Amino acid sequence: MSNAQLEIQLIASLVAVACAIPGTFLVLRKMAMISDAISHSILPGIVVGFFITQDLNSPLLILLAALTGIITVVLVEYIQKTGLVKEDTAIGLVFPALFSIGVILIAQNANDVHLDVDAVLLGELAFAPFDRLLIGGADVGPKSLWVVGTILLITVALLILFFKELKISTFDKGLAASLGFSPAIIHYGLMSVSSVTTVGAFDAVGAILVVALMIAPAAAAYLLTTDLKKMLALAIGFGIFSAIFGYWVAHWLDASIAGSITSVLGLVFLVVYLFAPSKGIIAVMYREKQQRTEVSLLTFLLHLKNHDELEERHVNHLREHINWQKVRAKTVLDLAQKNNMIHIEKNIVSLTTKGDEFTSKAIDYIMTNEDAQIEDMKDDFFLFRG
Amino acid sequence: MGDSHFAGIMDITEYIKLVFTDYTLRTITLGTAILGAVTGMLGSFAVLRKQSLLGDAISHAALPGIAIAFLITGAKDSNTLLIGALISGLIGTFWIRGIVTKTHLKSDTALGLILSLFFGFGMLLLTFIQKQPNANQAGLDKYLFGQAATLVESDVWLMAIVTGICLLVMLTFWKEFKILLFDADYTKTLGFNTKLIDILITTFIVLAIVLGLQTVGVVLMSAMLLAPAAAARQWTNSLSTMVFLAAIFGAFSGVFGTAISASQDNLSTGPVIVLVAGVFVVFSFIFSPSRGLLFKQIRFIKNRRDLELHKTLAFMHHIAETHENISHPHTIKLLNNFQGYTRSTLQKLVDKDYVHLNGNMWSLTKTGFEAAANLYTKQSTEDE
Repeated sequence: MSNAQLEIQLIASLVAVACAIPGTFLVLRKMAMISDAISHSILPGIVVGFFITQDLNSPLLILLAALTGIITVVLVEYIQKTGLVKEDTAIGLVFPALFSIGVILIAQNANDVHLDVDAVLLGELAFAPFDRLLIGGADVGPKSLWVVGTILLITVALLILFFKELKISTFDKGLAASLGFSPAIIHYGLMSVSSVTTVGAFDAVGAILVVALMIAPAAAAYLLTTDLKKMLALAIGFGIFSAIFGYWVAHWLDASIAGSITSVLGLVFLVVYLFAPSKGIIAVMYREKQQRTEVSLLTFLLHLKNHDELEERHVNHLREHINWQKVRAKTVLDLAQKNNMIHIEKNIVSLTTKGDEFTSKAIDYIMTNEDAQIEDMKDDFFLFRG
Repeated sequence: MGDSHFAGIMDITEYIKLVFTDYTLRTITLGTAILGAVTGMLGSFAVLRKQSLLGDAISHAALPGIAIAFLITGAKDSNTLLIGALISGLIGTFWIRGIVTKTHLKSDTALGLILSLFFGFGMLLLTFIQKQPNANQAGLDKYLFGQAATLVESDVWLMAIVTGICLLVMLTFWKEFKILLFDADYTKTLGFNTKLIDILITTFIVLAIVLGLQTVGVVLMSAMLLAPAAAARQWTNSLSTMVFLAAIFGAFSGVFGTAISASQDNLSTGPVIVLVAGVFVVFSFIFSPSRGLLFKQIRFIKNRRDLELHKTLAFMHHIAETHENISHPHTIKLLNNFQGYTRSTLQKLVDKDYVHLNGNMWSLTKTGFEAAANLYTKQSTEDE
């Protein structure tokens, strides 16, 4: 592994961490699309900043561009406040307009600007190690490493300092306000950090990867835990893993590093989305199926309790009367038998004492509208779940 | 990116003549106009269904489809690529829906996820294609930022046909679309297959977006969908009027945008169209009679003035009540410790013949006294 390769992976990992932290809060605050808006609308800020500084890594340019990001947020909120359109429409109107201005500015000054829209959107991590920072003639490392490192340091410092405030204002704005810290300040603080991170990272990894690195690790982490600290740690972990693994995939395919990191992020999310223990799609579908069977079981038991007539309780009758498919009737019947709720004698089904008790309780809960209690009750009675 | 060979054409009549005679200009103008109309039309549904950002997500999600279609067929034929884009756009859309309905992730997260992940994957494929030997990949990146100049007659025909089909389906299922838009639960109880109608609308939205990719590109496509609809929404509360207006705004954005970019050097068509659409939005936000900011502000000021006038009158009435003769003159100084009073409100009251002025004394007239007495008991019919 050469020095440049190591540096690229280091930069990518740092960007991943710097993005995961604000990203987690954006996802929790339902503002994920704001990061997309910011990543596009900083373009005019970058162009204007570039005219002034002539250096893509200058701190002034980063501040100017970040300011554009904040202007985007303010504009979106202003439009939203007029009540003329909904928030998402406001976002969708503001950033393409600003982005268009940026594209036109670049095209108009194509001769003076070595700035490519492609580069802004997609970035080129492979070139990052060649832009060195020289202090007094000594080479201290790639410029973007320093830029991203500084941003990350500030982000982490802010996170540790204001963790409690961030947490409370994210989950309970009213409580935060009543405790005396303004949700508005925290909101704009978070927006500023997101803007600065986006700008600082765009040169290395491009705007789209910034969005992916903000949202995808946080979303995957959110499917695995509901604890904020664990979620942050998981998001950071996913980010770093995708950054390093993505680099090697790009190396192997000889393709864009940013695109490859995003694709790995996509795979990570896909795996979590499918297999997350309680919130993954498979777990959810399994639980839904289980609940369907159990509701059928309950209906079936209630039916038994209501009918003493033999013909109503005949096994074959179930299919006609409750209109169940053969398979489903069999599943429900088996489940009930396994749980000792019913016994079958000469194809006549009747409730056992346990089944009778269960059904009475269930009716009780349904009558008193305490449907939630039924879940606990199932735990008490069921030996096997549906 | 700019259509620089039209540089220097500033004369409007000459430009219009050129639109009809010059093949390229005519194609582009027609193409952007049709595109604006169809996206405006379908965008109305997206905006009203609160799916405004869906367009942004879909247009990004279409990219891997374009790349894969190219990898499989090796053809640069835009129809093949569009089918790829359509398929991957649809996969993205339904995945977004899957995330929102099956997990506790919210729609903004789902949109952002699909948008960035699909786009990143698309970029990976594009760079992979570029590195392939002998790959005739030039022109694929026009889908990123759009190049209206590459439109040819067959593209415009395709757009026109899709717009026609879309219009036909919309007119056929107008009632269903409308009812689903405003009351989905009611639609279900009426026995309509809401899922099918929903898929139909979504598919057409995806189709419109995919059609526009070549012209305005991935990033700006969402604005094409939103801006005309958001502008149209300000002028009307009727769905049919809104759809119609949005189509008009969209078409004009296309025509004007093309004209402006053709008459200048180095102006890409896509961004200019988006900015023109943006101007429509800002204009509508400000000048719409019922919802616009300008008239809202005017109404606000007028209401405040009315209120001040009423307050002054009520205060005068309060003083006059204590005297036997209601027209007993009082000094103006009395009014000074009352907030709503200004010289102009007093003058207004005089003009209305509610108050009589004599030097620095005022007295309430009979009509003024009656008006003041009834001020809070009945709604005054003659508002100022």
